[in-house]
Amino acid sequence: MPTVTTTGAAAMSGVWDRRISPVARHLVPIAIAVVFSGPAAFVLWRTFRLGALSESLDEIIDPLWRTIQLAVLVSATAAVIGTGLAWLTTRTDLPGRRFWRVVLILPLVLPSFVGAAAFIAGLAPGGIIHDALESIGIDAPRRFRGLGAAWLVLTAFTYPYVLLPVTARFANLPANLDESARMLGLSSTATFLRVTLPQLRPAILGGSLLVFLYTVSDFGAVQLLGYDTLTRVVYATRQTNRALSFAAASVVLILALAVVALERSQRGAAQPDRRATVRPMRPIRLGWRAMPALLACTVVAGIGLVVPVASLGTWAQRGLAEGRIGFGELIDPTISTASVSVIAAVVAVGVVLPVAIATTRRPSPSSQAAAVAVIGGFAIPGLVLALALAVLTLNTPALSRWYQTLPVLIGAYVIHFGSQALASSESAVRAVPANLRESGRLLEPRRGRRWFHVDLPLMRPGLVAGGGLVMLATLKELPATLLLSPIGFSTLATEIWASYEEGFYAATGLASLVLIMLSALLTWALVLRRSDVIRS
Amino acid sequence: MSTPRPLAGAIAALAAISLVATACGSDDTSEDTSNDANAGTTVDAGSAASGSDAGPDVDSVTIYSGRNEDLIQPILDQFTEATGIDVNVKYGDSADLALLIDEESAADNVQADVFLSQSPGSLGFLEQNERLATLPDETLALVDESVRDDEGKWIGFSGRQRVLVYNTELVDESELPTSVFDLTDPEWSGRIGVAPSNGSFQDFVTAMRATEGDEVTMEWLEGLAANDPVSYPKNSAIVAAVGRGEVDVGLVNHYYNYRALEEDPTQPSANHHFPNDDPGAVLIVTGAAILDGTDRPSVAAQLIEFLLSPEGQQYFAAETFEYPLAIGEPPPANLPPLDFAAVGVVAFEDLAGGLEQTRQMIADAGLQG
Repeated sequence: MPTVTTTGAAAMSGVWDRRISPVARHLVPIAIAVVFSGPAAFVLWRTFRLGALSESLDEIIDPLWRTIQLAVLVSATAAVIGTGLAWLTTRTDLPGRRFWRVVLILPLVLPSFVGAAAFIAGLAPGGIIHDALESIGIDAPRRFRGLGAAWLVLTAFTYPYVLLPVTARFANLPANLDESARMLGLSSTATFLRVTLPQLRPAILGGSLLVFLYTVSDFGAVQLLGYDTLTRVVYATRQTNRALSFAAASVVLILALAVVALERSQRGAAQPDRRATVRPMRPIRLGWRAMPALLACTVVAGIGLVVPVASLGTWAQRGLAEGRIGFGELIDPTISTASVSVIAAVVAVGVVLPVAIATTRRPSPSSQAAAVAVIGGFAIPGLVLALALAVLTLNTPALSRWYQTLPVLIGAYVIHFGSQALASSESAVRAVPANLRESGRLLEPRRGRRWFHVDLPLMRPGLVAGGGLVMLATLKELPATLLLSPIGFSTLATEIWASYEEGFYAATGLASLVLIMLSALLTWALVLRRSDVIRS
Repeated sequence: MSTPRPLAGAIAALAAISLVATACGSDDTSEDTSNDANAGTTVDAGSAASGSDAGPDVDSVTIYSGRNEDLIQPILDQFTEATGIDVNVKYGDSADLALLIDEESAADNVQADVFLSQSPGSLGFLEQNERLATLPDETLALVDESVRDDEGKWIGFSGRQRVLVYNTELVDESELPTSVFDLTDPEWSGRIGVAPSNGSFQDFVTAMRATEGDEVTMEWLEGLAANDPVSYPKNSAIVAAVGRGEVDVGLVNHYYNYRALEEDPTQPSANHHFPNDDPGAVLIVTGAAILDGTDRPSVAAQLIEFLLSPEGQQYFAAETFEYPLAIGEPPPANLPPLDFAAVGVVAFEDLAGGLEQTRQMIADAGLQG
């Protein structure tokens, strides 16, 4: 009987799929790929035209090696921390799970330069880490620099890239397999490693890839922490030796694309889920392990959030006490920041979803190319991407009149951060079991209604998580906002940058705290509340 | 299955509405100019209708400013008050804005009339790429010729002196060097903070090349590198590091320490000025230029002249602790007077290879980061 149904459905599905012409099926991903790969194509073309890639190699090779070391360390560590925390906060009876779900995502919200600066301030006399270490008789290091420092800080600020998609994946992972495994006598650890982990693999790989790309294209944190990477070459030579600057940017891009391709080949053929989750899983009892679990959460949140917030609070408090700064000036930037971030998130999910559907349900060279193009948008250092989009907008007749307007700025956010919605969207598409789609076709011939009543509800956790990452990235985006926004437009990130750049630390502190609060509010209201996980 | 979510829709709608409101409502002047600027080379019907006969709109001027908003917006507001001309500003990093202007200019779509740069380097970059218009002679005559471009393409409006900031708890005053050349002594090993990729440091090294020659400069850079200095991205980061005691001394522009002490009066840091004739005491100018292709050159010049007026110059002296550059303006009360004849100023045009040669020398010496 089941066999008959499946065969029948397969035949039916053939009928229905024929409704979309094969041309259209390829055209949509290709069109999206073309738009997303514009900046990368520009960077490579400009590099080729300036023609210095071969001469520049000896200035590039050492920073390249350091970049690879850092990116591998950070993404591997973030994968472990993000997955572990996702498991703790969704599958166990960890005390205060809801609280941790919000708090553990927040380290993502600070621009890396201000996060690193605030972290360093925490180590200085009067800083929270310095004083804490002193109270237990340890001298804080005088200098906090180099690979180790960059590794720690970047990991602390990027592991949520793994945490969020994995949390979303847990939300619609069929619980029955776990439960059967445990009923058959596997320990919870063995269940996790042998049953759960393989199902999480695409989400973990996708999230770690984002961490890798974030690290290779970061400039603010590594620069402050004295770790010399390729982005330093890009920035230090951007005006004096443009050939070298573009060559370095191209190397970042090529490295990133190679890793993207590797990740996609490692991910393997994705199977859609066999069935949709219809009931929440009974949480695993941590028992005595609750204490170490809580400690782990506290340490991670402490490094990524409490230490920077304490430093930022000290800065802000000085200025507030003296009346030098106030909240009034931050109202407009706060509204602007929230608005563009939410819009960018919605648009990004809308644009990326067709790609996710194509790669998951109808994998083909064109769909894979589209996925690589979408992810590649995140691999270009922010400033280079902003300049590339400026050049493309200025020189495209149909677009040039939109230069420095909000639609183009939103487009820039979507191109830069669309990748962050892709992994989660692919998970979302996989969460719709094939048999459910088949029965849906039999019961509801209207494609639109089926989409809204069957597909979308099942995809929601993944889509919301993906949109959430785009939103959080946009909230703190700087270079594109500075260069491509309409004149007079400011966001919290531009306020933070402007005051930090000139050493107005009180204003930096206040604007950063407002950014953290805004991010927490939006994450809770728009992401966690709607991604189902919070209800479990 | 899911129930409809009116809240999500409401929030999204609210966001969209407030965005439109922010974009259009908060700053009606910006709308005028962006229309006007977007029109680029074509004649803008809107601006023609707004008053002046078919000519460009003289009610506003657009600036790309590498100088920080907190440091310059008040004097721009005074300009608007005095003249009735609206000022629209895009703020950003000087080097980034220079790159953007270069691309806009290449596409024949320049948005701004005036560029204000923190660093002579970015002005030199645009001059080299022929993106700057020549300033009127009467504007150029407002300052000493040492603080303006020989070709009349840019003019300095305020100056910062290079100093050695030091931690007063870690360094005794008697220990301080009398020349920047003394920093290559082994006693300073591991104690110096520098910003090799920062514009001001590169400008300072460029000035040293002009006065001392490439050989002496290279020797000094190598001596400095041999002392294992600690690299920072920018001046403010060095001052903060000196304040924390992470390094003992740092090569910076003078005014960052005043800012740092305003933020935290307990920070144990102070400026040490080298003698005026020392290369370590060079003046880094903040410069203004009119962009090639602007259709409002006279308003642009008017704005730059306002920055150089007594009102503008005393604003910089009093509010940003900088040296005024207009002839006859006294320096800020808390700063030693400056002998413009003695203090070196960056002059790119005299140097082979310009700023790129400087950057290459810094990199070859082994200073990185």
